[in-house]
Amino acid sequence: MGLLISQLAHYNQAQKKQNKTKNGTPKVPSSQLSTLNSFSHSLLKFTARRTPTSSYQMETTQTTEGGGGGATGIAAQMEVEAFRRLFPLPFYKRHLLESVRPDARALDSARDTTISLGPVASADGSALVKIGETVRLSCWVKKAMLAAIKLEVMTPSKERPDEGSIVVEFYMPPICSPMVRPGRPAEVAPVISKQLLDVIRSSGMVNLKELCLISGKASWIAYLDIYCLNADGSLFDAALLSAVAAFTHLQIPLVSVTEEGRVFTVSSEQEEKTKFELVNKEKRKLSLSSIPFPLTCVIHEDYILVDPTAEEETVMETSITLVLDTLGNLVSIYKPGGVGLASTEIMKECITRTKRRMQELKTILEESVSVMEVD
Amino acid sequence: MEYVNPLTGLRIDGRRPTEMRHLKAQIGVVSKADGSALFEMGNTRVIAAVYGPREVQNKGQQMNNTEALVRCEYSMANFSTGDRARKPKGDRRSTEISLVIRQTMEACILTKLMPRSQIDIFVQVLQADGGTRSACINAATLALADAGIPMRDIVTSCSAGYLCTMPLLDLNYAEDSAGGPDVTVGILAKMDKVTLLQMDAKLPLDTFETVMQLAIEGCKAIAQYIREIMLQNTKQLECRRGS
Repeated sequence: MGLLISQLAHYNQAQKKQNKTKNGTPKVPSSQLSTLNSFSHSLLKFTARRTPTSSYQMETTQTTEGGGGGATGIAAQMEVEAFRRLFPLPFYKRHLLESVRPDARALDSARDTTISLGPVASADGSALVKIGETVRLSCWVKKAMLAAIKLEVMTPSKERPDEGSIVVEFYMPPICSPMVRPGRPAEVAPVISKQLLDVIRSSGMVNLKELCLISGKASWIAYLDIYCLNADGSLFDAALLSAVAAFTHLQIPLVSVTEEGRVFTVSSEQEEKTKFELVNKEKRKLSLSSIPFPLTCVIHEDYILVDPTAEEETVMETSITLVLDTLGNLVSIYKPGGVGLASTEIMKECITRTKRRMQELKTILEESVSVMEVD
Repeated sequence: MEYVNPLTGLRIDGRRPTEMRHLKAQIGVVSKADGSALFEMGNTRVIAAVYGPREVQNKGQQMNNTEALVRCEYSMANFSTGDRARKPKGDRRSTEISLVIRQTMEACILTKLMPRSQIDIFVQVLQADGGTRSACINAATLALADAGIPMRDIVTSCSAGYLCTMPLLDLNYAEDSAGGPDVTVGILAKMDKVTLLQMDAKLPLDTFETVMQLAIEGCKAIAQYIREIMLQNTKQLECRRGS
């Protein structure tokens, strides 16, 4: 109990500090100050740490509604924004009770996805994935990832003489988010790099034997670089999707070998003129066996929110990422701790949602491939 | 090698000597940023994002209390050039270009209006085909305008060179690496003042004047295009606001 009182005192102090206006922070209207004090009273009676009491929620509802009714236009907007910043969890809870999210999506609907193949002409395979809304001419995009693959020749390792290799690197340049500071790379970037590499390897999407040129002497190493251009939650989803799309677009260039054993690429115009033997006759595309598709969900008590935005991820704190492949196998489950606990029912729900999303993504990917082939 | 064909007078990509590459710009591509723009000059594609004015993150860097701090970072994507083997950030060329862009934009931002704050300009090169410096400055101008940061004037930049006894406007990568001189000019469009001027390789003085004049004309043409784009963008915003 003593601990609770000291926590309460600290909370009160923090609230008072927040109420003072700083440059640019919206001021909390005085009507809400009284509710804060009443909240601290009700906190004394409650043993639960996190969720506010239902009476508090009702009081704040009344204030915001009263405030919204009284003030018009921008003033009402400011109160909602202030509430969103100061009390993000109650803000979301109110939305969840109506089974809707602040951006008017249903709880289990993901954002619109578009894939365009081949935006980077200098790479052997590339894809641009945009998740979010596109508003007429100027693309107002919530999340964008650019993936590009460059192939280089290397000597394969002795243990695996007829296999190539894949190197995946995920970058979060400072343009993508205000949280990323130059000089200090984002914490999640290497985590996502590793996750991507694990998923691509374990799904067996790319048969490494296809990346072999001359057994024991030369094979391809595919450098896959993914750049996040705009970061707004569920980065791994977009990254894996762009990686998969880039591999679908990948065209292995023609090569031939000189007498000294040096391998060099031959462009299509030089094909007839070259005197050296062409090692791979057709400009090959990789045959991808089972393509993995991801879905990230965020769990809060019994609610499952699919494809969270960055704000939702930070507020709800518990995310699960599931990767399913086209054959229906579960490729990867990633739940890195978090406050929310996932029972088996929740896991099964997530898996159903992932299956649905996989179907959606598969159609989108096939459409973009056919669009590209038409060109 | 013949950079200008003596018979037709055209360059290797089919342009005339005083013709610029195709320009294309888009405002507001990064929704998380306060202002952003995508600028293309031919095959060179660059994204600029501006965050600010916001609180100074590193108090040690804050020099004085009367002006905003402008910070710039230039980085190239791994796949932006033909061969992949380059360290994207932290190498000398990137640091030099970051400094150049920062100082160019500092000249035109009204920093005295935003004391004790920081304006970050981040530029990412997605595809590089010569003239990345100029494309970055043009993109940064658009992004700053999108972010609503007060500026004296719009800064535009263009490069010009001198090959096969002809002054050429807007060099691409092949012409740039030919070893001839490369003059990059950045001007404040309406005020007609030069903020950035860089040149390497040898050039006689009177030829230099011709080449610089050509580059300045290129800058003015880009300024015209940038104004059109900003006008279009404002019309769209007005439309969306419903007025």
